[in-house]
Amino acid sequence: MTDGNVTREIDHDEYDPVGTLALIVLYFVILLLMWGFTYFIEFLGNDPTPMLLA
Amino acid sequence: MSGTEYTASDLFVERFPDQARIVRIAFTNAFVALGVGALFGVLQALHRTEILRIVESPTYYTILTGHGVFLVISFTIFFLVGLYQWAVTDSLGRRPVDMRVTWTWLGLMSVGTLIAAIAILAGFLDDPPDVLGSELSADVLFTFYAPLQAHPLFYVGLVLFVVGTWLAGFDWFRSWWAWKSDNPGERIPLPTFMVLTTMIMWYISSIGVATAILAFILPWSLGITESLNPTLTRTLFWYFGHPVVYFWLLPAYLLWYIVLPHLSGGRLFSDPLARVVFILFILLSTPVGIHHQYLDPGISEGFKFIVMTNTMFLLLPSLLTAFTVVASMEHGARQRGGEGTFGWLTALPWRDPAFTGMALAGLVFAFGGFTGIVNAGMNINYLVHNALWVPGHIHTQVGTAVALTFMAGTYWLLPQLTGNRLVGRSVALFQVVLWFVGIIFMTNSMYRGGLIGMPRRTAEPQYAFDYEIGVGSVTELDVQLALGGTLLFISTLLFLAIVLLTLFNNDSEPIVDGTIPPALSGPEDSPRILDDLRVWVAIALVLVIFAYAFPLANIVSRGGLFGPDISPFPVVTDLASHPVTVDAVLTLQHGVATATALIT
Ligand code: HEM
Ligand SMILES: [Cu+2]
Repeated sequence: MTDGNVTREIDHDEYDPVGTLALIVLYFVILLLMWGFTYFIEFLGNDPTPMLLA
Repeated sequence: MSGTEYTASDLFVERFPDQARIVRIAFTNAFVALGVGALFGVLQALHRTEILRIVESPTYYTILTGHGVFLVISFTIFFLVGLYQWAVTDSLGRRPVDMRVTWTWLGLMSVGTLIAAIAILAGFLDDPPDVLGSELSADVLFTFYAPLQAHPLFYVGLVLFVVGTWLAGFDWFRSWWAWKSDNPGERIPLPTFMVLTTMIMWYISSIGVATAILAFILPWSLGITESLNPTLTRTLFWYFGHPVVYFWLLPAYLLWYIVLPHLSGGRLFSDPLARVVFILFILLSTPVGIHHQYLDPGISEGFKFIVMTNTMFLLLPSLLTAFTVVASMEHGARQRGGEGTFGWLTALPWRDPAFTGMALAGLVFAFGGFTGIVNAGMNINYLVHNALWVPGHIHTQVGTAVALTFMAGTYWLLPQLTGNRLVGRSVALFQVVLWFVGIIFMTNSMYRGGLIGMPRRTAEPQYAFDYEIGVGSVTELDVQLALGGTLLFISTLLFLAIVLLTLFNNDSEPIVDGTIPPALSGPEDSPRILDDLRVWVAIALVLVIFAYAFPLANIVSRGGLFGPDISPFPVVTDLASHPVTVDAVLTLQHGVATATALIT
């Protein structure tokens, strides 16, 4: 039912997964942004840990 | 295979009717567990947010235990054994050597589940009966370690269940040995390879939980031993508790590697890469369990640090999988006429519920990976530990990547297992998308709630204080959690209805293509050593010994095998002889609030 409309056969040697590469790069960019966001929430604007336990 | 409408004689159920029956029974068990688990899930979501409360808050723990155990033990593992039974039979093209073994493991697993379920569900009774000299109850959550104690029957049920899975693995190994002697020198078919490697990982890791239960927790719950060493049982639990997540995940990987490329209209990009990934899971999944114990006292920072490093290595098989699976989908899309850097995405069969369910599951998994890295980091873990963030992570991973893939896979498998046409394809498509939407609402709320410190595992997250929230409001988070949970519940009901109707849809011709095309780059492109399972077992054992010998020796030498005591901190009770510690002990006794007050 799903492979009913294969329009051309692509074999191993003529196949370059450029779209996959593009998606993975995009994913890493999103990850970097999420790290940045986490850093922003967690560290920026917060005071250092108080040193009162001594 | 263009446009083939398969005749019934090609279907799995026609070739192996008795095996199809085994798979159907295993799936039925899985789906009953899914239904009950989902009901408990929505009750939690509504209770926590104070939208609808039908039980008293203390009963929340009965519900939470049922939710955890039924979903992450019964649903996932029954689905796994069903799927693997199909995968081995189909890819080796042979029945088990001795069907009595097959029925025995299915029976053991079913009886075990029933016993454990009775112990859990007794928690709903006002006055649970006494069985074997103690009250029936098992509110110990799915992380069933001390000091929480269940009725012995709960552990007996678990043991039977796990022994059942061991026997299932033996059954599959036996099929493979028989196949090997008929086909000397041939490469192990990929689906069978995945089954065998998963089971090796499972043998190595489940021995930890078996030891914890049989040697320590069960005797303690029966009253044979007085006490135990809680750090030891926790460590043994997590020794199994991390690899078990791969036990849930690897059947989903099997579907992604074997079925998804075919659904996309293409072929698996690389068979050797798939093998490498499964081997990496044998090697790397066990020596990392201590990363669940970053906040446990009694384990040195050094061990925790080593484990953090091991954990980061586990990103490797996940990234390899992302690449291989996406590249296979792209191959399919391009064969179906897809063009451009991103344009090929539109050429994928988005109207097919089996495809769309798995693709969305993979997408959620990719983002769950990010939160997994946060959990894995030793310092940033302190931020999210035991916060609602953790169930957020759980629901993107096992609760979606795995569960949604299983549901989508069922849409593809069920016609082949029953000979019936799938009922309501467009409803099925709606169902998988609904799950995706529900999980976005629910986990968005859980992640953000976790970051502002909302605890997990509680009926009363608000206690008596307010949360400081940067964006949005607590009410908004509550609404999202309840809404997401409700959508997920509706989605589950739809799924179960479609499955049930399909089972009874017997005067119909299934439309399904069950053939799996060969990989673009086949096993002949890979070194034979990949198939030499003994080598990988040996290396895995060495790694496990490296990772665990020292911490375990350390824990036992400090706490003793049967432990000093199971009571929580403080362990020092003889205050008079330790005058200096009195202040510290009192501080800790009064909890964090008092401590904060004293410090600031
Ligand atoms: C109808 C769908 C579901 C809903 C509404 C739901 C809801 C919830 C909620 C609200 C919690 C948090 C409870 C708390 O910490 O107080 C939770 C926990 C959890 N859920 Fe779900 N869930 C669903 C499906 C699933 C699925 C499919 C799985 C796994 C296959 C799963 C596994 C878990 C686990 C392991 C926990 C943590 C249990 C613990 O802390 O002991 N859930 N769920
Ligand atoms: Cu883990």
